[in-house]
Amino acid sequence: MEQTVKKFSIKEIKEFIASIPYNKITIKDILSFEKTKENKILAGVIALLLGLFIMGVLMYLLHGHHAYNVTREHPWGLLIAVYIFFVVSSTGLCIVGSLGDVFGFKDYMLISKRAIFGSIVTILSGFAVIAFEIGHPVTMLIYNIVSPGLRSAIWWMGTLYGLYLTFMIIEFMFLLKNDMKNARTFGLIGLLVGLAAHSNLGGVFGFLNARTISNGVFYPTYFILTAFITGIFIAFIMMGFRYKLNFTKEVQVMLSNLAKIQGLLISILIFFVTWKMLTDIYGGMENRSGVAIHILGSWTFWAEVILAMLIPIYIILKSKGDDTKKLFYASLGGMVGIFFMRYNLVHDTQLKPLQMMKTEQYQLAPQWVHYFPSAAEIMISLGGLGICLALYYVGTKLFNLDSDTHH
Amino acid sequence: MANYGMALDYKNCINCKACEVACKEENGVELGAEKHRIWVGGNEPDGIWPLLNIASAAFMPSQCQHCENAPCEEVCPTHATYYDDNGVVRVDADKCILCSYCMNACPYDARYVDSRTMTVDKCNFCSETRLARGETTTACQNTCPTKVRIFGDLDDPNSEISVLLRTREHFTLKTHLGTKPKLFYML
Ligand code: SF4
Ligand code: SF4
Repeated sequence: MEQTVKKFSIKEIKEFIASIPYNKITIKDILSFEKTKENKILAGVIALLLGLFIMGVLMYLLHGHHAYNVTREHPWGLLIAVYIFFVVSSTGLCIVGSLGDVFGFKDYMLISKRAIFGSIVTILSGFAVIAFEIGHPVTMLIYNIVSPGLRSAIWWMGTLYGLYLTFMIIEFMFLLKNDMKNARTFGLIGLLVGLAAHSNLGGVFGFLNARTISNGVFYPTYFILTAFITGIFIAFIMMGFRYKLNFTKEVQVMLSNLAKIQGLLISILIFFVTWKMLTDIYGGMENRSGVAIHILGSWTFWAEVILAMLIPIYIILKSKGDDTKKLFYASLGGMVGIFFMRYNLVHDTQLKPLQMMKTEQYQLAPQWVHYFPSAAEIMISLGGLGICLALYYVGTKLFNLDSDTHH
Repeated sequence: MANYGMALDYKNCINCKACEVACKEENGVELGAEKHRIWVGGNEPDGIWPLLNIASAAFMPSQCQHCENAPCEEVCPTHATYYDDNGVVRVDADKCILCSYCMNACPYDARYVDSRTMTVDKCNFCSETRLARGETTTACQNTCPTKVRIFGDLDDPNSEISVLLRTREHFTLKTHLGTKPKLFYML
């Protein structure tokens, strides 16, 4: 009896998968794009980035963690920052995608499929990068299950992100089949799991009592806020490329609505960051104000502020969100700013040496912990971007990512 | 079942670093300055001659504090870091995935990556070596010429360390973090 039930369900699953609409494509189709100059450059860049990924991975395989510049005092480096960058992007796209298909805001329906596909692609890229940072990814898969550390924010983050990916894929399949009811159910579960996973990622830093600069509730909430902002930046970028900046009326309406939301979110972010800095500097907590002042003096912090906050909000306020073309470019810059935001978060957490009286141990102890990524770290990180772009490109060939109602 | 801790009569330390060497030798710790389970810290004396602050120039041996409430254990996603039956905080290399979370979470800089096994390593009070052979001292304690280190069972009221902690003033490091360190510095 059981056997037949099992067989039946496997058959059903097979049928379900077989009924997902996709375009049958060959390698030739993938390579055949409109041979404009821009497209050729973009294709070249993606190929280069993928090449860098392979080289970086080879360096890692040959030299292990010695290929990285992480140290005892600075155990987390660029790859962790890039992983965070990708998973934040994924959560953000999931939020943007959910506006239409989960919450039923009709205007946003036309980006749902594309955003959900983007969220799958970005998280896969994040996993591809982190696989080469975690020393033993296979051990992780095993011991995550047989010996779960339930008090560890990393355990929750990793496990929930795994689940989230599953839900996103299921949601995307239903979206492709235009089964909106099921897409909504799985979308809602995926969104909730994603938000939980993402705030746990903030918790990874928030739980550190050794690091006063990160400890507390700030990062878990800030991560959700910045995820939404990141999602909107990427929405602009994806739509900009899709329509080559000649937006149809509906797309224009949606984008300028998104821009207005973005204006609000960035204002809240500026408010948050201002108060974080004020409390860090004047809150009188041991070891915190020095770190905060050091951060204020670093150019990466100002890159984050100018690119991800000031420029976009200026354009949004000036044009009331209607200048979608400029906002496309501002979003490209915004993503660079978001990258620095992630990098700063990781680096700044580890800035302050724990010292432990080792003030003269073999060498004079540094006042600040220094770190600059190694070639292998940079190559794998850029490669992650290459993977993301390549997967997205293949996706645009394989699936119809436009809204069906829209055409 | 014991509850091991260590008292440090740190003002007797002469910075000979014999303990660092003994630890590396006994426990097969990897060579290299970054790879150390224990260390002796020191300050240049503060002040300008002749008004030098002699008290500021004390040497400070340190290592993993074997916290009773260890942040490293709490953050470990696979329970690779665990409390053993003797209250010693240890790492099971087979379970360690090298996420490095514990290195970030430890307030005492007590952990490092062993690049032979690619897992995190730290002081374990010689649990795998001397204690496993039935000895009752650690390598650092055994080698110290000025008897700075006193290792023993905090649950045994008659152990040398318990007597010492009852009779002499002492402090712990970064006490305000609530980690309840089991390394005690004697005043
Ligand atoms: S000192 Fe660090 S490594 Fe040792 S138990 Fe405490 S938190 Fe863990
Ligand atoms: S590096 Fe190893 S011991 Fe440390 S938290 Fe990760 S899995 Fe646990």
